[in-house]
Amino acid sequence: MAIVYEFVWRVLHVLLHIHRTLITWFRIRLRNWNGQLWSRALTALLVPIALSFPNQKKLVLAPGKRVGRRYRWGADGKSLEKLPDHIGLLIAEEEPRYTDIANLVVWCMAVGISYVSVYDNYGVFRRNNSRLMDEILKQQQELLGLEGSKQLSVEFLNNGTDKQDHQVVLCQSLLKVLSPDDGKLRIVQAAQQLCRAVEQREKTSKDINVTVLDSLLRESKSTPDPDLVLKFGPVESTLGFLPWHIRLTEFISLPSHVDVSYEDLFSALQRYASLQALENKQTAYRHITSNLTSTPTHSDSLLLRNVKGSPGCLCEACWIVRALPRLGCIPAYEINNDNKNRSC
Amino acid sequence: MPKHVAFIMDGNRRYARKRQVERQEGHTQGFDKLAETLRWCLNLNIHEVTVYAFSIENFKRSKDEVDGLMELAKQKFIRLLDEQENLKKHGVCIRVLGDLTLLPLDLQQHIARAVVATRTHNKCFLNVCFAYTSRHEIANAVREMAWGVEQGLIKSSDVSEALLSQCLYSSNSPNPDLLIRTSGEVRLSDFLLWQTSHSCLVFQSVLWPEYSFWNLCDAILQYQLNYRPLQKARDQHREGQTLQQHEADRAGVADLLQHHGNGKPLDAQKRQEALLNYTASREERVQDFLGALQHKRDSFLTDLTSQAALA
Repeated sequence: MAIVYEFVWRVLHVLLHIHRTLITWFRIRLRNWNGQLWSRALTALLVPIALSFPNQKKLVLAPGKRVGRRYRWGADGKSLEKLPDHIGLLIAEEEPRYTDIANLVVWCMAVGISYVSVYDNYGVFRRNNSRLMDEILKQQQELLGLEGSKQLSVEFLNNGTDKQDHQVVLCQSLLKVLSPDDGKLRIVQAAQQLCRAVEQREKTSKDINVTVLDSLLRESKSTPDPDLVLKFGPVESTLGFLPWHIRLTEFISLPSHVDVSYEDLFSALQRYASLQALENKQTAYRHITSNLTSTPTHSDSLLLRNVKGSPGCLCEACWIVRALPRLGCIPAYEINNDNKNRSC
Repeated sequence: MPKHVAFIMDGNRRYARKRQVERQEGHTQGFDKLAETLRWCLNLNIHEVTVYAFSIENFKRSKDEVDGLMELAKQKFIRLLDEQENLKKHGVCIRVLGDLTLLPLDLQQHIARAVVATRTHNKCFLNVCFAYTSRHEIANAVREMAWGVEQGLIKSSDVSEALLSQCLYSSNSPNPDLLIRTSGEVRLSDFLLWQTSHSCLVFQSVLWPEYSFWNLCDAILQYQLNYRPLQKARDQHREGQTLQQHEADRAGVADLLQHHGNGKPLDAQKRQEALLNYTASREERVQDFLGALQHKRDSFLTDLTSQAALA
């Protein structure tokens, strides 16, 4: 009987491998096909223009297209209901490609994300910090053009010692290069610091709590915890990424950072935005329903007014919107039937 | 096969809404599903399971819901105590991880009785995280180490990653191999953040009360596919840890010689001897401290059980 089970298990493994390979192959093929289709369509449109105008125009078109893309990326960022304040790029692959990482960083900044962290579990980026920075500066010029690059203030933040800190300010965004040493080791160092203070009678053990430890582990008061971590690679693990800081972080997996496109990044950001919108609604309604017996305030009514309950949706927010009028607690707001097919 | 699996049992309330029953019924179904899942794990030779039953954040929910959950937990722990014979037969050891002082006293007493009664069992282990968040656990571990320093049991230079792991609520368990979260959420929600740094994470969209054996198999397959790279990452991390400990010991010895030495430089052999002595005395200090810590925790539970007996 055990032999049968083992055989079945092995068959399942093989099927899963085939399934994964097919999906990856199909995805690459589809992207290439799409890419080819778009580039062919664009070429078809541009060829007459190229032929009818003098050669100078071609040169002007390239930077123009870059400026266009920069504004488009900025507009894309503004169009999302919620952008993460701090995004983590977790590279769980053996061979990092610096150009692709640099592209991701530049796109994140262009879209409007204030804090970007890059991490790999071998500490490669930390060790080759300058190479990564050079690549990012190069890609900035490439993707955002000279104009865009001029507006950037590139600072290598120094913490006063000779050791160069691994933080850079780019485009009103802060880039951090992280390694496993920033995770558990940092927590241990903070613990040692607190224990030394206790040894020297500056603190007692009872003074140590979550807030005290958190303030030690926060590099600066303004740096938020990562809201979103994009994991690139097949390994399903955080691989030691900032254990203290990821308590409420959303994890979205992407197959690989190699040849990653802006569209891949943007669709992950869209998914994050929809998760957050749901979360916010649920928080708002939880607040209201915990005070159901009391008279709803004016701000409660305003909160309700902005959200419509989609019929058939099981999320707490929609369910409460549908239930409240029946309970007679709050005057009935119209449930917009146009939202029937809209996902919550 | 994984030896230790952790579950975040999410989706009870959504399930209750789907079935249009009371929220409390959703939680009860969730508990039944937990019992079923434990049986599956035993059949698959998974001997340790950790579950996230109640977070410190959950205290912020409505009073009715929190009271309902406390009542449910009380009933279940009382049921467990009734089944002592069965638990002994299967060798089930129950541990509760979290800040028990935040719970109502009668629930604390029931928990203490269940934990003390099953303490010696060692065939399979169920760790229930109740009144738990990972940050509180880590802060508590740091506080315990600071207590050790206050009591003169250890020095601040003895603090290391290994020691911190030994001071967590989960010190008697190995790190989970696999973490499963149901209901489609893709967060860790302050659960075992320290212990799962190199675990396989599987996020499944099924609601917890609807969890099936095939979902569990799917998660285990994911674990098996990720086994080699995770093993490699874990080994690498352990090597790094060992190196750091060596460096710390060497620095400690250098410091010691500077303060207590007579100014004459030591030869290589004497230096090596000093290093070995330093490491040995550090390890002895750490063992004594961990013994004292375990004693403190055991006494807390035994005090609660004797209180319960008197009541």
